[in-house]
Amino acid sequence: MFRSRSWFGGGLWKPKNPHSLEHLKYLYNVLSKNQTVSESNRGLLVETLRSIAEILIWGDQNDSSVFDFFLEKNMLSFFLKIMKQKCGSYVCVQLLQTLNILFENIRNETSLYYLLSNNHVNSIIVHKFDFSDEEVMAYYISFLKTLSLKLNGHTIHFFYNEHTNDFPLYTEAIKFFNHSESMVRIAVRTLTLNVYRVEDRSMLRFIRDRTAAPYFSNLVWFIGNHVLELDACVRNDADHQSKNRLADLVAEHLDHLHYLNDILCLDIPDLNQVLTDHLLNKLLVPLYVFSLDRQRARPSSPKNSPPYVSSVVSLFLLSQVFLILTHAPLVDTLAKIILHADRQIFSNSATQDKIVLLQQGKPSIIQPGFLPPSESLEKSLETSLDLSSRSMSVGSSDLASPCTSEPRSRQGSLEEGINTATRSFKGSLDKDTEETNLNITDEEKHMLKVLECQSEPSACPSDGEIKATSNEGPMLLSPEGPVPLAQPLSSQPFIESVYNALNCQENDYAALFSLCLLYALGKNKGVSGVLLHGVLFPCLRPDAPCSLLSNRYNVPLVERLVAIITLSVQPSAKVRLVTLELTIRLLSQIVMLGTSSYLQDGHLAAIEGAKEESSSNLRPFYKSEEIFLDMFEDEYHELKKRPLNVEWLTMDSNVLLPPTGTPLTGIEFGKRLPCGDVERARRAIRVFLMVRDLSLTLGVEEERSLPLTDSTSCVQVDHVLNLNNSDLIGCSVVMKDGSRVHRFLVIDVIQLILVEPTRRLGYGVAKLVGFLQDIEVTGDKDDSRCLHITIHQPLSSGASKRVPLLAAKFIFDDHIRCMAAKQRLNKGRKVARQKKMAQIARLLDIPAQPPNPSSAYNLLTARRQESALRGAVRIAGGRDQRQLYNAQKLPGHAAALRRESTPSPTNSSKSPDRARTRDSSRSREASPKPVRPRSEEIPLEDIAKVKDQDASSSKDNSSLLPIPSTSSVPNTINNSPSHMSYQASNVNDSPLGESSTPTSGSPPKQSEETSFTRRAPQRSDRCEQRRRGQVETV
Amino acid sequence: MFEIEQQNQSIHDCFFVSGVGKSCLLLQFTDKRFQPVHDLTIGVEFGARMITIDGKQIKLQIWDTAGQEAFRSITRSYYRGAAGALLVYDITRRETFNHLTTWLEDARQHSNSNMVIMLIGNKSDLETRREVKKEEGEAFAHEHGLIFMETSAKTAANVEEAFINTAKEIYEKIQEGVFDINNEANGIKIGPQHSPTNPSLPSNNPQPGGGCC
Repeated sequence: MFRSRSWFGGGLWKPKNPHSLEHLKYLYNVLSKNQTVSESNRGLLVETLRSIAEILIWGDQNDSSVFDFFLEKNMLSFFLKIMKQKCGSYVCVQLLQTLNILFENIRNETSLYYLLSNNHVNSIIVHKFDFSDEEVMAYYISFLKTLSLKLNGHTIHFFYNEHTNDFPLYTEAIKFFNHSESMVRIAVRTLTLNVYRVEDRSMLRFIRDRTAAPYFSNLVWFIGNHVLELDACVRNDADHQSKNRLADLVAEHLDHLHYLNDILCLDIPDLNQVLTDHLLNKLLVPLYVFSLDRQRARPSSPKNSPPYVSSVVSLFLLSQVFLILTHAPLVDTLAKIILHADRQIFSNSATQDKIVLLQQGKPSIIQPGFLPPSESLEKSLETSLDLSSRSMSVGSSDLASPCTSEPRSRQGSLEEGINTATRSFKGSLDKDTEETNLNITDEEKHMLKVLECQSEPSACPSDGEIKATSNEGPMLLSPEGPVPLAQPLSSQPFIESVYNALNCQENDYAALFSLCLLYALGKNKGVSGVLLHGVLFPCLRPDAPCSLLSNRYNVPLVERLVAIITLSVQPSAKVRLVTLELTIRLLSQIVMLGTSSYLQDGHLAAIEGAKEESSSNLRPFYKSEEIFLDMFEDEYHELKKRPLNVEWLTMDSNVLLPPTGTPLTGIEFGKRLPCGDVERARRAIRVFLMVRDLSLTLGVEEERSLPLTDSTSCVQVDHVLNLNNSDLIGCSVVMKDGSRVHRFLVIDVIQLILVEPTRRLGYGVAKLVGFLQDIEVTGDKDDSRCLHITIHQPLSSGASKRVPLLAAKFIFDDHIRCMAAKQRLNKGRKVARQKKMAQIARLLDIPAQPPNPSSAYNLLTARRQESALRGAVRIAGGRDQRQLYNAQKLPGHAAALRRESTPSPTNSSKSPDRARTRDSSRSREASPKPVRPRSEEIPLEDIAKVKDQDASSSKDNSSLLPIPSTSSVPNTINNSPSHMSYQASNVNDSPLGESSTPTSGSPPKQSEETSFTRRAPQRSDRCEQRRRGQVETV
Repeated sequence: MFEIEQQNQSIHDCFFVSGVGKSCLLLQFTDKRFQPVHDLTIGVEFGARMITIDGKQIKLQIWDTAGQEAFRSITRSYYRGAAGALLVYDITRRETFNHLTTWLEDARQHSNSNMVIMLIGNKSDLETRREVKKEEGEAFAHEHGLIFMETSAKTAANVEEAFINTAKEIYEKIQEGVFDINNEANGIKIGPQHSPTNPSLPSNNPQPGGGCC
């Protein structure tokens, strides 16, 4: 009652509550009184429009009567009226903003239907705003985008009118597909995708018949022009000046491809067919593929030659295409053309026939060639839509000829009976073909005929059939892919130029992209397997035609790849690491089936030769310098951590510029040539690692030597460790921020461990673990009990910025302990590094010649194997060792020397109890055991790791006794399966140990030296062998 | 997007908001006339506003990325087209915070390293329902080199600052020459210039319901 009264009466004065029906009524009054926009009421109108949005949303959420009133009074018509006066951007923007808010925030579905029901929205959409005003444009396109987000099977009917064949939301939006503002273009693309995914048959038919050809042909032209621009940018920028511009263009091309892929992935058959047709005929084949073989394709005058791009750019772009697009009819056809097309394809009509045939035997009436659309999109749409109302029946009933609107719009007249037209059009083309190809050989004529015949019967396969058709695809080539190999390459211009690009004699500029393309072809799921077996993969069936070649793989290609590898191991080769990595990956793919390799002996020998060469190239860099080890591990981890990602590679515009050596360009190391000695060393390491890896893969061998650190044997943080028989040095660790913790320092074979004791006696939890090789120790000038220790991040951790794992001050109980710790840390560091250097030496087949003599014990056994000369080296080494200590003038080095000669006193000074035990156990051992850890060095296996939960039983406890004591406590061994092998090898060892005693010179010294050696079980096997050899020598 | 008028030259940069409750933030920033009140949840996906930095008039255009997550090409393009991005999470919903890593990875992959990213913890007015501590947001931002701020679209706290600080950061980068504003000079006419490649991202659903504020 009250309400109905106020319905008419209210709204003459402004109510206090801005969120109320009353307020809306008031606003309604304002609008009705100000239907003409003038200078004076502009501000009032804007505020009114804004308030309306606010109230409506409030009403939508709180009070439905608000909406009723809005609809009742048909208030949207006011909007239109205002709009139609030239009201200026101020009002326009507010209007669009109000609409935006309205459609974005409405949650009530019925409200939405009401808003859309009276077609005002469509009138607003077609209104010609002042699009030169950037802000109006932005609000307008956001408005359309917002609407497109509301589309679904129901709401589509408010926008698409089946009877008038009208779909302003879509047709108005696509007119801005090439707007200069990228945000506008993105909005348009969003809108188109939102439209396509609405499943409404008649709407999609409309899209296909009336708009697809104009839109796609313009889109394709737009993309093509970007490509030409990109090409120009590459051509004119030999010195890397406009990198940003180039990066933009490359990214833009990727955007295009992703957009096309998003459309194709919606899997709307009719639409995909039109799009595929346009892409192939108008862009991919004439511009991308033909550019591969430009010279021969168009030897004539450059005047009328069609646009082209350089073959490098073309290879690059095609790689992107195959990496992104997966729509089978498209990529499969394109792959066929690249792999098998012959020269004849360059004649226009032949191109068309071939594309048609390869695609799906479906006739296309699109004129092939990279040509501008005959008219602007806007005009085509107008024509097409004007005609559409008259020709609706023809257009929409003819599902089979999706591209009709283009010729129609081009010719400006509507042809009745599309099928007839198509046929006659094609007929005339055939005649042309006959005429223009008078000079072609009989064979070619025959092929043409074959092509034509084949195109006839397969009138219109459904999308599902397409793949099958193309698989069986009769082509010019025989049914099974591989045959083309037998044909001389020269008859296949495209694949020939792809292969030719693999020549790296001068540089690997084009080769890299050629590899990318081949790789992308192999990875693309849309390219049929038949096409690639024998080309990019091994032949599946031995009885297939490729057996004629007596090979199971593509020999010409493999030869080229092997050539790249052979070339790249040369120190001065102009082959970038990235090229080598990709070559290797491609090669394994071509010759490996599962885990078995089909590589012929000749090729394998070439690879092995390359491996030898790469290791001999690396040897000169093998120095005692610390940096070599760091570099080696760094390169190894880089390689493992970041395997080449080809998709990312083709996103990097930097590779499009000619290869360069200077790091100043900011191009990553792998993507340019090395500069300076350090980089040359890095390159040599990387090449060696990659080629070695390939050789292992081909030989189906397991990797045994890398990584240098066996992470499974390392102590991790939070491991509970049995520290009985380990030397602990108590210390306080003072962090940079002043925090202070008490820890015990344990120096393991390769690790430094800070432990915190647990409640259980003799056990501790690892709180911090670092590799000895990464530590840096310096004394403190002011406090002789202090050490500054920095533990750098291991390279394998992948930390990009090398923040130290720990940088802290360690305070020990007294000067002596401090010195001892320092010495052990320094020595541990050296030993850890020497051990790894020795591993590398073995990898490189460098005769075991320690770069630093104090690693003598590490290599002891290896050296014994050798002749007496070796012994001399060792002696020399001993001398060096002394010099080294002198040179370093380590504080307390005297103590170190003393300890060397008399180990036990030093021990006892630190842990008298255990030293005594150890001594006694040692004395019990009959001295011949040469390899015994010295008590203060804790061999890794001494620190048995136990999980918290099972660390409690006393049984475990006994099994965790350190290994050195096993010989003296034999009964514990049986409890400990994990030590069985050790025990076994120990037993085996003993006789050998005895036999080696005479040769080993002075046993005490030896045991001193070998005490650093880690005696892992498998290691002792090796020792055993070596010793055996040594006995023979003696 | 961002437009800077200066010596007859105008520069565009774009940026987006991603995450939760972003459309409310956006409206709050671009249109002060809308009073945040308890029974009204309202937002927009696009907004423009003039601001002044260093005495220069700068037009900010902000595009929301909502609703386009299904299409890779769209998110990609958005990232590329933006100079800055705002990543928004809801301090009362832990899962929105947990998603940040994914968005950030996405953003970093598609954009160049110059893009300014601001992390925003929204709904700071709902202290009682807070699930994500301010310190956590700070730590995340610190770890990934983002600017951080907690805002409330409801009380308008910090909203202004969030957008303006982001804009300032971009502006500084332009002054430093990090953003090459001349690089889309030739070819198709690109009205005022575009700057760098970078966008930001979408999130999960932008809270269609009562979530915002």
